[in-house]
Amino acid sequence: MAFRQHILDSEGFFGPYGGCFVPEVLLPALEEMQQGFEALKEDPQFLSEFHQALHQINGRPTAFTPLPRISAAIGGAQLFLKNEGLNHTGAHKINHCIGQALLAKRLGKKRIIAETGAGQHGYATAAVCARFGLECTVYMGKKDYERQRPNVYWMELLGATVVAVEDGSQTLNDAVIAAFKDWVANPTSFYLLGSAVGPHPYPAMNTFFQKVVGEEIRSQCESLTGRLPNACVACVGGGSNAMGMFFDFLDDAEVRLIGVEAGGHGKQPGEHAAKLLDGQPGIFEGYYSYFLQDDGGNISNTSSVSAGLDYCGVSPILAWLADAGRVEFERASDEAALAAVQRLAREEGLIPALESAHAFAYAFELAATLTPADVVVINASGRGEKDLFITMRHFQEENLLAYARHLLQHQSQKAFAV
Amino acid sequence: MNFPIMAHLVMGYPSLAESLRSAEQYIASGCRILELQIPFSHPTADGPVITQACREAVEREQTRVEDCLDLLATLRQRYPEQEIMLMSYTNRIYHFGLKKFAAALLSLGVKHLIVPDLPVDSPIARQLEGITLVPVLAANVGEERLARLIDMDFDFYYLMSDFKITGSTFSLHPQLARVIAAIRTGAPQARIGIGFGISTPEQVRVVAQHADVAIVGSALIQAQQRGHLSQTLQTLVGYSAS
Ligand SMILES: Cc1ncc(COP(=O)(O)O)c(C=O)c1O
Repeated sequence: MAFRQHILDSEGFFGPYGGCFVPEVLLPALEEMQQGFEALKEDPQFLSEFHQALHQINGRPTAFTPLPRISAAIGGAQLFLKNEGLNHTGAHKINHCIGQALLAKRLGKKRIIAETGAGQHGYATAAVCARFGLECTVYMGKKDYERQRPNVYWMELLGATVVAVEDGSQTLNDAVIAAFKDWVANPTSFYLLGSAVGPHPYPAMNTFFQKVVGEEIRSQCESLTGRLPNACVACVGGGSNAMGMFFDFLDDAEVRLIGVEAGGHGKQPGEHAAKLLDGQPGIFEGYYSYFLQDDGGNISNTSSVSAGLDYCGVSPILAWLADAGRVEFERASDEAALAAVQRLAREEGLIPALESAHAFAYAFELAATLTPADVVVINASGRGEKDLFITMRHFQEENLLAYARHLLQHQSQKAFAV
Repeated sequence: MNFPIMAHLVMGYPSLAESLRSAEQYIASGCRILELQIPFSHPTADGPVITQACREAVEREQTRVEDCLDLLATLRQRYPEQEIMLMSYTNRIYHFGLKKFAAALLSLGVKHLIVPDLPVDSPIARQLEGITLVPVLAANVGEERLARLIDMDFDFYYLMSDFKITGSTFSLHPQLARVIAAIRTGAPQARIGIGFGISTPEQVRVVAQHADVAIVGSALIQAQQRGHLSQTLQTLVGYSAS
C-alpha cells in the first residue's frame, strides 16, 4: 500500500479516522486553511521559501549522531539519534510552526492562537510570530505553566501572551480546548496547532511540514551506514515528531516504525497517556481517533512526567497506521524516561527532553534484542533544558531547594538594603 | 402572546432529580421548548457556567446517557405535548451508539438534536436515522454553505448571537441579518432561534425582532444556583411580543 500518497491525497480521512468535527462557526477558517494548504503543497516558490527558512532559522539539516558508548554497553543494535533538539527553540515543533506561519502570512492573518504542553510548541510559535510580525496568544494548562516554567519565560520574552488555563486537569487537553474557544470568539485569527491532531487539515499539514525529519534521516543513515534503519523509534504525544520521522519510511516495509507512548506511573486510567495501547476510538477536539476515555465516552485525565506527552488523544494518521499494523506501539514509564535522561547525559553527553527520553528508554530495550548488524534510529525530538526544574527535582532535589532558598534570601537582603 | 423561549439545562446538574425539577419549572412557567444537554466531561464550545455544570454532572453525579434518557422518559410521560430538543457533544452519543440513540429519542417523541461539534452533513450524522439535526450557525457562514444547508431542509436553525462561547455578554452580530434573510427566503417554514449570552428581557426583546425563539442557557443555570430560578423564568418568559 502506498501510505505516503494516501496521506498526502487524503482530504482529511485516514481509513475511518480524521475528519473535521468542529462547530460550524469554525468551518470557514478551516476551509480557508485547507485550500491554502492544498495550494502551498505544490507551490515551488512556497516550498523553497519553507526550506530556506528551515535552513536559515533552524540550521537544518539537524545532526545525525551515533551513540557508540551506549550501543557498546548494550551490546545489541547500533543506536543513532536524530537531533531535533538542535532546532532553534529546542525541538522539532518549529518545523510545523514555520510552515503554518508562512501559510498564515499568505492568508493575510494578523493574530495567531496556539496551545502548548511542554511549552516547546508555544515557544516555537512565539519565536516565528515575533519574526513574522504576528500577534501571538498561547494557552497552557496551569500545571504545565508551573512545571515548564523556563519556556513560559521565553515565550513572554518573545512578546507572546501566555494564558495559564485553570480548567480541568490544567494540562495540554485543557489548553487545546481554551485555544478552540478563543478561535470560536475570533474566527479570523489563525490557530497554529501543535501536533498531527485536530480537524482536517492539521494532521496531514503538520505531517507535511515535519516530514523533512525522516527525509534527512534517510540520507544521513544511508551515507553513514550504507543502509536504511531496521527500526525508527519516536515518542508519541499527539504524533508530530513521530509522523515527521516515520513518513518518509512508510512505504519501506523493511523499516520497523515504533511509537512510544507515555506509560506514566501505572496502568490504571488517569495514570498514563497511552491512547493507542489503552484508548478507544472516539470523536473529540475535531477529529476521530483513539482517545483515553471511560465507557460512557467522557474523556479521561492523563498523567506523564513529560508535559508534551500528557494528552488524551493521538493523530488520526497514527490510529490508521496502527490498525494497518504499519506502526507498532510501546510504552515507557516516567521512571524509565528519567533514567534514560541520566544515562544519555552520563554516557553520551546529551540531554534529551523528557518526551524524547521515552523513545530512548524503549529503544534501549529493543537494542538489547538485536545484533550489532542492526541499526536503530531514535528521534531526539527535543533537548532537555526546559525540564530543568523537573529533572533537577528528581536528580538533585537538595541543590534545587538550596538554590531556591538562596534566591529568596538574596531578595530579602536586597529589600533590606533599599 | 409570550415570545417563545427555548430553555436549556444540563441533565444531572446539580443532580438528576434536581434537573428534572428545573425542567418541570421551565415547563410550568411557559417555556416553549426544552433543550436538555447530556453532560460531557469536556464541552469544547461552552462557557464556564455550562462547563462547570457538565463537569459536576459527570464527575460527582456520574450521569450516564441512559440516565438522561430515563429523565426524558419521565418528562415525556408527564408532559406528552411538550416540545423537547436534546443537545450532546458527539463523543457521548457516538459511544452510546448513534442508531440506538436516534431510535431512543424518536420513541420518546424527540425529533431534534443539537450536536455542536458534528457538522450536520458529516457522514457520521447520517447514522442518526429519523432525527432532524439543528444546524448551529454564526454570522460567518458562507453563502454557498448556507445555500447547501437550506437545501437539506432543516426546520430549525440555531444562530449564535455573536462570535463567542455560551454565557458571554450578549450582542447581536450585524451580519446575522444576512443569514436570517437567506433562511427566511430559502426555508420560509423553518423556525429560527438565537442564543448565546441571553439573560435579560431586553435581550429577548432584541431577539424577538429577528427570530422566532430566544434560547437561554447559562443565565438559567446561574439563576438556579442563586435560588431565583422562578423569578428569572417569569421575567424572561413573561415578556410579550406586541
Ligand atoms: C520535545 C517534544 N517531543 C515530543 C512532543 C510530543 O508531541 P508530538 O507527539 O506531537 O511530537 C513534544 C510536545 O510538546 C515535545 O515538546
